[in-house]
Amino acid sequence: MSTTTSDAVTGPATHGSVQVRASSAIGEPRIEIRDLDFYYGAHKALKKINLIFPEKQVTGMIGPSGCGKSTLLRVLNRMYDLYPGQRAEGQVLMDGQNIIDPKVDLNALRARVGMVFQKPTPFPMSIYDNIAFGVKLHEKLSKAAMDERVEWSLTRAALWTEVKDRLSTSAMGMSGGQQQRLCIARTIAVRPEVILLDEPTSALDPISTLKVEELVDELKNDFTIAIVTHNMQQAARVADQVAFFYLGEMVEVGPAEQIFTAPKEKRTEEYVTGRFG
Amino acid sequence: MSSTSVPGAAKNIAASVGLGKRRYRTNTIVKVLCVAATALALVFLASILFTLLIRGFAGLSLTVFTTSTLPPGSHGGLLNAIIGSLIQTTIGTLVGTPIGLMVGTYLSEYALGSKLGDAVRFVSDVLLSAPSILIGLFVYAVAVAPFGGFTGIAGCIALAVIVIPIVVRTTEDMLRLIPVALREAAMALGAPKWKMIVLVCYPAAKQGIVTGVLLAVARVAGETAPLLFTSLGNLNWSTNLTKPMASLPVTIYQYAGSAFEDWVQLAWVGALLITFGVLAINIIARFVLRDGK
Amino acid sequence: MSDEPEHLVKSYETELKRLRSMMTEMGGIVESQVALAAQAILNRDTEAATKAVEMDPKVDAMERDIEQFVVRLLALRQPMAADLRFIIASMKMTGDLERIGDYAANVAKRSVVLSQFHLPFSLAGIAHMIQLVQEQLKSIIDAVGAGDIDKAVEVWRSDQVVDDIYNAIFRELITYMMEDPRNITPCTHLLFIAKNLERVGDHTTNIAETVYYAVRGEVLPETRPKGDTSAYAVVRPSE
Repeated sequence: MSTTTSDAVTGPATHGSVQVRASSAIGEPRIEIRDLDFYYGAHKALKKINLIFPEKQVTGMIGPSGCGKSTLLRVLNRMYDLYPGQRAEGQVLMDGQNIIDPKVDLNALRARVGMVFQKPTPFPMSIYDNIAFGVKLHEKLSKAAMDERVEWSLTRAALWTEVKDRLSTSAMGMSGGQQQRLCIARTIAVRPEVILLDEPTSALDPISTLKVEELVDELKNDFTIAIVTHNMQQAARVADQVAFFYLGEMVEVGPAEQIFTAPKEKRTEEYVTGRFG
Repeated sequence: MSSTSVPGAAKNIAASVGLGKRRYRTNTIVKVLCVAATALALVFLASILFTLLIRGFAGLSLTVFTTSTLPPGSHGGLLNAIIGSLIQTTIGTLVGTPIGLMVGTYLSEYALGSKLGDAVRFVSDVLLSAPSILIGLFVYAVAVAPFGGFTGIAGCIALAVIVIPIVVRTTEDMLRLIPVALREAAMALGAPKWKMIVLVCYPAAKQGIVTGVLLAVARVAGETAPLLFTSLGNLNWSTNLTKPMASLPVTIYQYAGSAFEDWVQLAWVGALLITFGVLAINIIARFVLRDGK
Repeated sequence: MSDEPEHLVKSYETELKRLRSMMTEMGGIVESQVALAAQAILNRDTEAATKAVEMDPKVDAMERDIEQFVVRLLALRQPMAADLRFIIASMKMTGDLERIGDYAANVAKRSVVLSQFHLPFSLAGIAHMIQLVQEQLKSIIDAVGAGDIDKAVEVWRSDQVVDDIYNAIFRELITYMMEDPRNITPCTHLLFIAKNLERVGDHTTNIAETVYYAVRGEVLPETRPKGDTSAYAVVRPSE
C-alpha cells in the first residue's frame, strides 16, 4: 500500500528536497507529496505526483474535469478510504508521518485536515449544533467553552453577525452562500491545520463567491489551504501557488502569477488561455 | 419546421399551422382518455366510500365504543376488537420498526456491494409482496402450534413480520437519498461511521422513515389474514396477550358473513372505523412530511 | 504563434487576430510615415514632408482605437498567459509606434526648413542612419505580426549601430558649426533630426523588448548598453 518510513529517509528524500526548491520557496512545507500514485480499481488516476503545500499558503489546483485534482484533494484527508477499490501508493508526508499509511488514525487525521465540499452540506440540525458537531467529536468542552468556540468559528467565517440571533434555528433555512460559510465555520471549529476546499463556490452566486474568496484570503493567516477550482480567475485571485493537472499528471506548479502570466509548459499555456482540445 | 430551415421562418408558417391543428386534436383525444380513466377509477372508489359511510354511520353509536362484542340481538359493541387492534398494532409496530430500521441501515450503509446484503434485500422484498396469509401460517407454525394455542403475542409477531420489510425498504430508500456529500462532510470532520449514521443520516432521513413507519401501521391495522391464524379473535373482553385476542379486521370478517342483522351492521361500523383510522394515519404522515419542508 | 491550437471561443480568437492585424496596420502606417520623412530630407521633397505630417492624426486615432480595443478585451475576456501578455504588449507597442510617428512628423517639418538652406556638406551619415532605422522598423513590425522573437532580438542588438552613427553625426555637425557660423541653423535642425531618428531606434528597441516578453513571458536577459554618448561628447575647437 505504501512505502516504508525508512524509504522516506533514504531514497526519495534527496529527490524531495530538490522538489522544495523547484516548486517554490514561498513557505515551509506543511504537506509534502512524493511520488504519489492513485488507483480507482485498475484505473490509474494519479501518476507520480510530487507537490508541496507550503505552510499558511493557498495552493490552487486547476485542470480540466477528470484530471485528478479532486482525487488528490481526497487523498489528503483519506476520503477515498470510504470506498473499496480506491488506493494510493507513495508518500504524503505531514510532520514526517506518511498519512496514507493504513495504520494512521483516520478520525484524528481528519481533525487535522478539514474539508469543504462543492455543494454546501449543512447537517439537518441547528446552526449551533452544526458547528458543535465536529468539535464534540474530538474535544470535551463545557457549555461556555463551546459557546465561545461556536462564536469564534462563525466570526472567522464572517458569518457571526448574520446568524448570532438565530443560532438555534435550522441550518437548512440559510441561503446557499451562508450555508457554505457555515460549512467552512464548521470545519475551522475543529481547528485543523489544513483546509481542503473542493470547488467551494461552484454552486454559489457571484457575490457569495466573492465572500468565500475573501474568507479564504483571511483564513490563510492561520491555516494551510488547498483549493480545487474550475474557475481560473478564482485560482488567480486566491492562490499563492497553483498546480495544473492534466490526465492524472501534475504538469506544472508555480507561483500563481507565473502560471497565469507566463506558464512554462505548453499544455498549461493552452489550458489557461482557453485553447484546450 | 421542415428539415433544415430555421423554425418560424415565414414560408413555414402555413405548414406549422396545419401541424398545430393536428397536434391540438391528438392532445385533446389523449386528454379525454386520461380524464375518462380517472373518472372510472373514482366512480369505484366513491361508491365504496359512499356505501361504507351510509352503512357505517347508520350503526354508529356510543355503545360501539363502550361495549364488547355480545351475542346477536343484545346490542353489543366493538370495544374489545378496537382495543385488541390497538394493542396488537402498537406492539407489532414497536417490535418491527427497530428491527426494520436496523436492517435498512445495514443494507444502505454497510452492505455496499456485499452478497449478504443483496440476499437480505431480496428476501425482504419478497416478504414485502408475500401474501399476508402466508405470514399468518408461518407464525402459526412457529408461535401457535408449538405452544398449543392462539395468543395475542402471536398476533403481534405476525404484524411485526409484516412491518419489518416495509420499514426496511423505506429506511434503505430514504438513507440512500441522502447526498454522498453530506455523509462525506460528516466523515471529513472526523466522525466515526456510526456517529455519521445516527447523528447526521437519521435526522436527514427522519421524515421519510417516519412516513414509512406510519404507512406500515396503516397497513397492519387493516390486516385480517395473519391474525386469523395467530390471535384468532375473541368475543369477550381480554387484554391478556397470552390468550386469543380480538381485532377489528377479524371481527369484521366474522360478523360480515353472519346471518344476524345487527352483527352485519357492526361489521360496517368496524370497516368505517378502520378506514378512518388509516385515513388519519395518512394525514398525519403528510403533516410530518410537510413540517420538515 | 500560428502553431498554437485555436481558442475554444471563436469570437475571442477572431478578436485576438484582429488586434494583431491592427498592430501591423498601425506599424505599416508609421513605417510609411518614416519613409516619407526620409524622402523629404534626402530629396528635399516638401510634398512628402506635408504628407508625413498629415498622417499624424491618423496614427493618433489608430492608437486610441487599439487602446480601446485592448481595454475591451481585458474587460470581456479576462485573458491569461500568452494572450494576456500579447494584449498588454499591444498597448505598450501602440504607444511606441505613436511616438515613432511623432518623431517622423517632426523630422518631416524640419526637412522643410532645411530645404531652404544650401548645405556645404553631404547628408551621407543621416542617409545611412535613416536607412538603418527604416530597416529595423520594418523588421520589428514583421516580428510583431509573426510573434518572431529571433527577429526581435536581432533588431534589439542592431540598435547599437544606430547609436554609433548618431554619435558620429553629432561630432560631425558640431565641427561644421565651428567651421562656419552660417551652418548653425541647418546643423541645429539636423542635430534634432538625427536625435529624432535615434529616438525612433530606441522605440523600435522598446518594441523588440515587448515582443520578446509577449512571446516568451520573460524579459530580455541582458540590459542593452545605452548607445547615445553624445551627452559626454566634447569637440575641441583647437582640433
